[in-house]
Amino acid sequence: MNREFIEQYIRQHCSADDYTCTIDESDSHETRFAQNGITQHLAGPKVRIELSVSFGAKRGKSLINQDDEESLAKLIKAVEENAHLAPEDPEHVPSVGPAELPEVQNCSDATQALTPEQMVNIVQKSIDKAKAMDATVSGMCEKHYSTNYMFTKNGFTAVDNRTTFGHSMTLKKGEVETKVSYEAKDFAAFNLDDEFARLASQAEALAHQKPFDAQKIAVILRPPALNELMWYMNWMMNRRQSDEGLTPFTGMLDKKCFGENFSLYSTIMNPEILIPRFNMLGLPSKETSWVERGVLKNMPADRYWAQKVGCEAQFPFNMYIPGEDSSEEQMMKMVPRGLIINRFWYIRPVDMKRGELTGMTRDGVLFFENGIVKHAVNNLRFNEIPHEMTQRILALGTSQLSSAYAVVPPILVQDFNFVDKTSF
Amino acid sequence: MKYLDLAMNAANSLGAEYADIRIQRTTDQRILMRNLSLKSADTQVVDGYGIRIFKDGAWGFAHNNVYSDEAVLATVKRAFDIAILSAKVNKDKKLCLAPERSYIATYRTPVKIDPFEVPLSEKVDLLMEVNRNMLAFDGIRQAMSYIIMHKDEKLFASTLGTRLDITYIYIDPIITATAVADGDSQSRTFDEGGRTVGWEWIQELNLADKAKQVAQESLIKVKADTLGAEQRRTLILDPNHLGLTMHESVGHPTELDRVLGWEADFAGVSFATPEKLKNFRYGSEIVNFVGDNTLSEGMATMGFDDDGVPGQKWYIIKDGILNEYGTTRDTAMEIGLNYSRGCNRATYYFDQPINRIPNLYLLPGTKPLSPAELIADTDEGVYIQGRGSFSIDQHRVNFQFGGDFFWEIKNGKLVRPLKKILYKSCNPEFWNSCDAICDERFWRPFGVVNCGKGQPSQTARMTHGSAPARFRNIRVGGSQ
Repeated sequence: MNREFIEQYIRQHCSADDYTCTIDESDSHETRFAQNGITQHLAGPKVRIELSVSFGAKRGKSLINQDDEESLAKLIKAVEENAHLAPEDPEHVPSVGPAELPEVQNCSDATQALTPEQMVNIVQKSIDKAKAMDATVSGMCEKHYSTNYMFTKNGFTAVDNRTTFGHSMTLKKGEVETKVSYEAKDFAAFNLDDEFARLASQAEALAHQKPFDAQKIAVILRPPALNELMWYMNWMMNRRQSDEGLTPFTGMLDKKCFGENFSLYSTIMNPEILIPRFNMLGLPSKETSWVERGVLKNMPADRYWAQKVGCEAQFPFNMYIPGEDSSEEQMMKMVPRGLIINRFWYIRPVDMKRGELTGMTRDGVLFFENGIVKHAVNNLRFNEIPHEMTQRILALGTSQLSSAYAVVPPILVQDFNFVDKTSF
Repeated sequence: MKYLDLAMNAANSLGAEYADIRIQRTTDQRILMRNLSLKSADTQVVDGYGIRIFKDGAWGFAHNNVYSDEAVLATVKRAFDIAILSAKVNKDKKLCLAPERSYIATYRTPVKIDPFEVPLSEKVDLLMEVNRNMLAFDGIRQAMSYIIMHKDEKLFASTLGTRLDITYIYIDPIITATAVADGDSQSRTFDEGGRTVGWEWIQELNLADKAKQVAQESLIKVKADTLGAEQRRTLILDPNHLGLTMHESVGHPTELDRVLGWEADFAGVSFATPEKLKNFRYGSEIVNFVGDNTLSEGMATMGFDDDGVPGQKWYIIKDGILNEYGTTRDTAMEIGLNYSRGCNRATYYFDQPINRIPNLYLLPGTKPLSPAELIADTDEGVYIQGRGSFSIDQHRVNFQFGGDFFWEIKNGKLVRPLKKILYKSCNPEFWNSCDAICDERFWRPFGVVNCGKGQPSQTARMTHGSAPARFRNIRVGGSQ
């Protein structure tokens, strides 16, 4: 694909008062394995050319994935016609202008250089290790390279390149199922032996399971569990929705509605984490406090709403929750009994106004008492309000990379609200 | 198109045991109106081809959006090389493909009015009227209306000699009003799911009037009572609620790839394992589920699946007993079946097809029974309409569902509206508690447009359906 040609063509032929164009290219290789064999294996490039235009306050938007002259001509014609047919949008904002973007390093040479043969070797070794334990393993080994480019009539021009490597493994041995997942920009930091050792250790801990009834109980949420819960909470923190009375955060800005020891940021300071230079609205990524020591400091807002209510437009582009230094062993000694949660699954909102979510535990739950792990227990369903849960945090561990976009700690929480159990 | 033969000849020359090419152009138009602001009238066209090669018991799949002889041949080679790599790992675990014959066929979704030929201004005007009608009610804080129109144009060829030309169209309209009062906010949604029909359906629906009803009901809902503590109660569930319940608790557990553990790392597995076939009591004797990819207006009705297998109709649960799965050519042979039920579907050209839920519906009751009679026959309980919160474990056993609109039933009558109701149950308890299903006059479809599954993630479509049905002794209560 010739990005320069596309830009030049659109700049020359688009007659709209204003426009924003994004050109995304990517190439992926994805090897999916299950029960010790490969079930899917795919690769290929993708292209995405999206053009938004406006005539006054009338807007139109179209997307194609073909970059020849004829396709681009059709794209411009279609999107301009759509804009002419549209009513004036009372919430229209012009395209973004020149902006200062953070300088970040989102690409890894090691990830780019990774070959399909190497990826299949990783899968083969994962399977061999599972077989050696008389177990089966399922997962996904994936590599992605993408380039995102955006330009506007008002002078914004920016490019963002990224790589990601991921390798997840779910081990099944007898009735025990557990999972580890690695996702980062840099393949060089990946160590299969370490990952598999963690997986095997989790499986071993889960070997003896006893039935356990749903109840309010202390939990240690390991980073993948907290990560998942927090993305759903973020989703309910939208500024406009809150201002319109639809979320628990209505009227809560600058008030303490989270726990004193809880803060939440999007960061451009942590080199481990992926940092998009700009988002799909053309907003540059910048250090943002969403929650500062329990106080709600900012809420995600689009450009129209930000302008209307006088706040800064921004969305979470990654997640950083600062931790402290409690180890899991120390946390287990801080409460008489509790559960260690590896992951959550199928989280969904129950009550948007209260901020209540439901979901299940997955991939292993451990019961501890008097500071030591006693046995595994069945999976449990929770109905919980995450921002209120942060008010019950007793301790935090060290923050760690939980996915390419998240650095979060394990936390110890009192009285986590489990409401049901399942049979396994 | 010349690329079909070019690709298949190249695959044969390389030594593929089986290969297919799917050239697919997907066009979407999404119109989203929030209050009186048109948030989207986007058109999206995604065009390219995916090539699958099967060699030595393994798949390779490569995709491309460049149409040239060189690009097609390079993509065939890439898919072949990937298959060879996969086969090295699968040497002790080779996949097999169920036998299939060749077909030369054309399928077109029957539409009277092509939704893409309807002027954009007409669609926008309709949604503007819909939102105005909702916002005319005091207390409505947010009015949302949305229509998606979708078209797949596919050319498919395989080394079996199959040549297919498929045009598939669906429409899905949704209207939501959100009311704010007394420190609470509640939404009510009109959502019958998607259908493979033309714009004539939208004209029949009279969305402008539906908008008024939705707004009124959201105002009733925001001021409604809650139910209090959870206890065992009777439920009567409407078809546009049951659609999602059966999707999660019957549709996904009976996908054979999950049963085989192929989704173990992501979407999960299934409790409905093969030794349970023909003997496991999944539901009461009146519970009959049919897989049917020939269903008129069904979202998975497209003539053939992406294995080139024709649409079929079969019992998945018969008289309450687990009867059969939804299968693909590569999953069927794993449990000794020598045929596929045609459930292999991909979303875009760049997606490798995977085992998906077919159109799957609960057969209506065989004795005359209306919803009014069913309610009159119920002493106490809750009547639920529409979709709400939903969550199920990764074995598809334990679940919790909400809904969109709720009525308390007492002494055979709907006595008061309720809000924030949840019910909890599990397989097979839930379907075994079904003691009455209304008759075929009250059967309604519900088309799912966004069934997420797979890595990389794909969204599939399928239609569910039922008549209103009653479930006894279910844990029902308020949230938390």
